[in-house]
Amino acid sequence: MGRYVFFGGKGGVGKTTVSSAYAHKCAGADLDTLLVSTDPAHSTADVFDQRFDDDPTPVDGYDSLEVMEIDPEEAVDEHLMGIKRQLGDQVSPAIVNEIDRQIELAHQTPGAHEAALFDRFIDVMRESEHDRVVFDTSPTGGTLRLLSLPEYLGGWIDRLLSKREKSVDLYEKSAIGGREPRRTAVGDPIIARLRERKENFEFAGETLREEAAFYLVANPDELSIRETRRAIASLAERDLQVAGLVANRLTPEPEPHEEGRGARFLRDRVETERERVRELEETFDPPVVARIETRVAEIKGDLLDDVSRELDIAADLVA
Amino acid sequence: MDLTDRIAAFRETVEEWLRGLYHGMISHPAYELIEKEAEDQEDAFLLACFPDAFGIPSPVSYYTAELLPYLGAEFEQWERRMWDRGSMLERKGQQYHF
Repeated sequence: MGRYVFFGGKGGVGKTTVSSAYAHKCAGADLDTLLVSTDPAHSTADVFDQRFDDDPTPVDGYDSLEVMEIDPEEAVDEHLMGIKRQLGDQVSPAIVNEIDRQIELAHQTPGAHEAALFDRFIDVMRESEHDRVVFDTSPTGGTLRLLSLPEYLGGWIDRLLSKREKSVDLYEKSAIGGREPRRTAVGDPIIARLRERKENFEFAGETLREEAAFYLVANPDELSIRETRRAIASLAERDLQVAGLVANRLTPEPEPHEEGRGARFLRDRVETERERVRELEETFDPPVVARIETRVAEIKGDLLDDVSRELDIAADLVA
Repeated sequence: MDLTDRIAAFRETVEEWLRGLYHGMISHPAYELIEKEAEDQEDAFLLACFPDAFGIPSPVSYYTAELLPYLGAEFEQWERRMWDRGSMLERKGQQYHF
């Protein structure tokens, strides 16, 4: 079991419920646990009936559970403001206007949110002292893109770095006969910055491969199962193994003596779902580690404890 | 003005001319060429960093934006250069000073 546990899956399958239940379970096993929500919808606040922000906040009624909610919007803004502050220190006001436009543009690119989220992930991984960090991630597409960032951007940064080094090297060569070169590799802030970024991505990639476990949450329906299949394939492409599947929102079976429209409907429904769960069990590599039935109300408090007992995911620390 | 002085003056003139010729014919074109190449490399680097300045979206522009505070002056010159670069031939032929 890795230190970092990710729960992913299609939107609305109940990732927050499952990850909260798992965090609850870990905290119950006396592990120092941090639950990180990256879903812009942030439903963790509803599960624990408490407001959270992007600093780890202890949850009322738990000894060793903290929650943080990362708001990508806010993370992007912070990044933007940080750069602008630096700009003010470094560049003359005349040029600032020109560059401001470029900075604004860069923060509106489609990938900005993911990049910002990813930076926060890395911060959490680098700084958290917790025994177990549980990530409640955004729906599949976003999460997968997020996890593939290290490799993808790492390559990009590599190329930029070599270009920069080449041009600086040429500037040094052109300084014939004791002339002052226009740029030098020693103390070039650009190269330093790119290297730092590259290191960050490498750290992230390594941590994800070595210390993280991925669980996918699925509902017993065709769409969700197909999505899960795709997710497993794309994670495998990136050398990331899925440790288990969680079947959530199963319909409870009526008592055998019950008759009537509702009972008949439920029986048929349960039959269909059994098929689907069987499909999950038989055609997928990762084991089905939990089968969670639909509850009558939102999962909170005592219900959370119920659900966490249905999770067959070890909450102990195995290094 | 005796002979030695005149010879010395003459030699000085010749030396100055030789220095000038060497500089103009050999060393200056050499480092001008390398410097141009370095500039071109830098332009390529900047284009790879900020393609969105030309409407091409880039996955890393969020990160490259962090470099802007250090690239301030270069960035502005680069943008101007890129917009009014006539042709590759013109750029590469500049060393001949037609």
